[in-house]
Amino acid sequence: MTTLGQEERHTEEKVYRQLRANSLLQEIMLRYMMEGQAASEQGKLAWVTSGFPVEIPVTMGVNVSYPEQYGAIIGSQKVGPEICGFAEELGYSQELCSYARSSIGSVRYPEKSPLDGLPKPQALLACNNICGTVLRWYDAVSQMTGAPVFLFDTPPTEGDQPSHHREYVRQSVLRLIDFLSRTFHTSFSEERLRKVGELSGEAIDLWTRSLKACRNRPSPLNCADRFLAMAPIVALRGTEPAIEFYQALLEEVQERVSQGLGAIRDERIRLLWDDIPPWFTIFRFFNGLAARGVVFPADTYTHAWSGSLAGADLLDSVVSVYSNVYLNKGLEAKVDKMCELIKEYSLDGFIMFSVRSCKRYSLGQLVSKELVMERTGVPGVVIEGDMVDSRLFNDAQIQTRLDALLEMFL
Amino acid sequence: MGYVYPHAPLEIIMAHGLTPTLVRARPGIAGAFEASLQTFACSYTRNLFSQRANDQMPASSALLFPGNTCDSLLNVGDIWRVRFPDDIIFRLTYPAANQGEAAVHYLADELRSLSQSIEAAFGRPFSEEEFRDAAGLTRQFRSAAQFLYAARVVSPQVLRYSKLAALIHTFLLSPDQKSANEITNASTQVQRALARSRLLDSAKKIQEQLIKRHLTPAALPHGAKSPRIAIAGGMIDPGAIVALFNAAGIPEDALVMDLFSFGFKTVFTPPCEVGRDPFDSVARSILASPLEPTQEGLGVRLAFLKDVVTNLAVDGLIVCEQSFCDPDEFEAPSLEAEASKSGVAVMRLPIDPELSDRERLGVRLQSFLETISPRSGR
Repeated sequence: MTTLGQEERHTEEKVYRQLRANSLLQEIMLRYMMEGQAASEQGKLAWVTSGFPVEIPVTMGVNVSYPEQYGAIIGSQKVGPEICGFAEELGYSQELCSYARSSIGSVRYPEKSPLDGLPKPQALLACNNICGTVLRWYDAVSQMTGAPVFLFDTPPTEGDQPSHHREYVRQSVLRLIDFLSRTFHTSFSEERLRKVGELSGEAIDLWTRSLKACRNRPSPLNCADRFLAMAPIVALRGTEPAIEFYQALLEEVQERVSQGLGAIRDERIRLLWDDIPPWFTIFRFFNGLAARGVVFPADTYTHAWSGSLAGADLLDSVVSVYSNVYLNKGLEAKVDKMCELIKEYSLDGFIMFSVRSCKRYSLGQLVSKELVMERTGVPGVVIEGDMVDSRLFNDAQIQTRLDALLEMFL
Repeated sequence: MGYVYPHAPLEIIMAHGLTPTLVRARPGIAGAFEASLQTFACSYTRNLFSQRANDQMPASSALLFPGNTCDSLLNVGDIWRVRFPDDIIFRLTYPAANQGEAAVHYLADELRSLSQSIEAAFGRPFSEEEFRDAAGLTRQFRSAAQFLYAARVVSPQVLRYSKLAALIHTFLLSPDQKSANEITNASTQVQRALARSRLLDSAKKIQEQLIKRHLTPAALPHGAKSPRIAIAGGMIDPGAIVALFNAAGIPEDALVMDLFSFGFKTVFTPPCEVGRDPFDSVARSILASPLEPTQEGLGVRLAFLKDVVTNLAVDGLIVCEQSFCDPDEFEAPSLEAEASKSGVAVMRLPIDPELSDRERLGVRLQSFLETISPRSGR
């Protein structure tokens, strides 16, 4: 095992400190992908959206793969334009979400896609608590693969969730159990759900503790660290490997905090990141800012997985957790969350990445930027681009905007 | 009360003594959204927002935005509240899934909640009597409009598409007895014309089949003009299509059927029943609209399109896509593929409410019509 001191020497030339836990992460994610392949061959694989109540299929013995996560892989391997292009050849507009386009493109040409594409699904489980696009995207994949689509409908809320919303979403849970029973010839057990929910909750708790450790100065994690480390909380909620990883991560994070080691070597400016990152330049982008003393102790994206299934009525808990995710609330809730993070993490400003692919996340940023600045008194900037399709990312224009923001701190 | 989404609960709004009025995207609006909306907001919402920012929006006491139909409209409703804090904004959140009775109960409760909000904002309670009158009015309008749609399938020259679009638009702008009578009178005249040419029964049969959404091959008159074009899309203003056709010098007779949200999908919404719980009744009516407002059900939409192009002797299909409209742009390739499988020529038409590319779109339309030939066997 590499000690912190050895790690220090290995990376002393770099402006950031790599996490030891990343090697465990790679191992776990590789195992997860192989399990997905095996499940597909056994006819037990569903594709799910990142905000889907995954504890239900996991409880019922259905394995899951995440096309959004695969989109991040396509992005980070810098083949987004090529794979999105395959979908565009099929007639899908370049104006559409690049997660969707890259997913459709990889289904069309798996042999030309990273890892030979995601394993073939037997069902497509979409939850619209993250956006309305997911259903359309999965409909397109359904036409290509023949896998049926299930929509878990969570009407967006404003303020407290009304009782008729809760009842409607509860019916969605029952409908989901019925769908999975019929499609995968499996059954549901509340006892098993409780166990899966506990595992899920434990992983979320460990993850949340690592996130909260970033309130320390210097911050033990930077944006890119969290965006990589979030993979199991997205894909492996309700499983033992997720707990294994987040225990290792938390241990390392606490070690850094106790030794006063930050994620970057020279932390001078602490900023909030809003939205999905540009996967194709994630290290270059955040490390470039790290070289200028900028760290991101918090972001709105990786903080989105926070609710645990608990209580006497587990199905009711599913309703609460999955209806009340960050992107299923209105602009006011987003502004509140940003202000809260800026205060709790002692941040000097914020960067909002206006992702052309993601209307649910990004439309409203021009207004929320003003509201957050007004309420917190810290400056912010909106930069525009995309998370997978690098054709929609103008580096020079973005650098100019970032320079303007950073000048305010000098 | 202005509304921006076609499946607004007209009867509920009218039961509070308010007039629902469609706020539509309009050409000739200078962009004034840039400080509030990014360019990737759909062109429809950009146009609406610019109208309001430019003080070009027709006056209304309140605006009704939809939730859970698309992300642009959802978020723009929130942005609107911040930018125009004096405007009274309501939101009606639709079910996106085809969840049967659960969806009906949910939407009925949403409508009840909307009704309470309207009463709280304007001090106008829900009136059963006004509800019954409103239900009668929408029933009268839809019955007449449905017949006119069917009549144009049989004989497109019996009524210009622009006239039909204008009659519908007039009612959606101001649903009153005058506008309902206007379309009813047009329907009566068309019935007489079709009776003279012995086509009335065919039209009535098609009307029934369109209501039931189960078509059989239409009986068309000998020597029916060709080509016969259908046009599909979401929240496209039928008036914009008329303007394009006219500018390109294309006869309106070629256009036999639209499948637009502000056209077919609104007109063929079944009327709500009186004598039962009004909110439940309106919810059932809205959820029984053809092809909308629930987002689930691509297979059903494609099956209906196939039914239309094969049974209504359609030679060509135009699929409209509004810029940055997720529902339009996601569904267009599937619509194109389905129609192509049925042997129908297809053209995709990217369009925005400003008709900013009018000349080029006109040329594309002309070329499309020139290249398609009537389907074999007709």
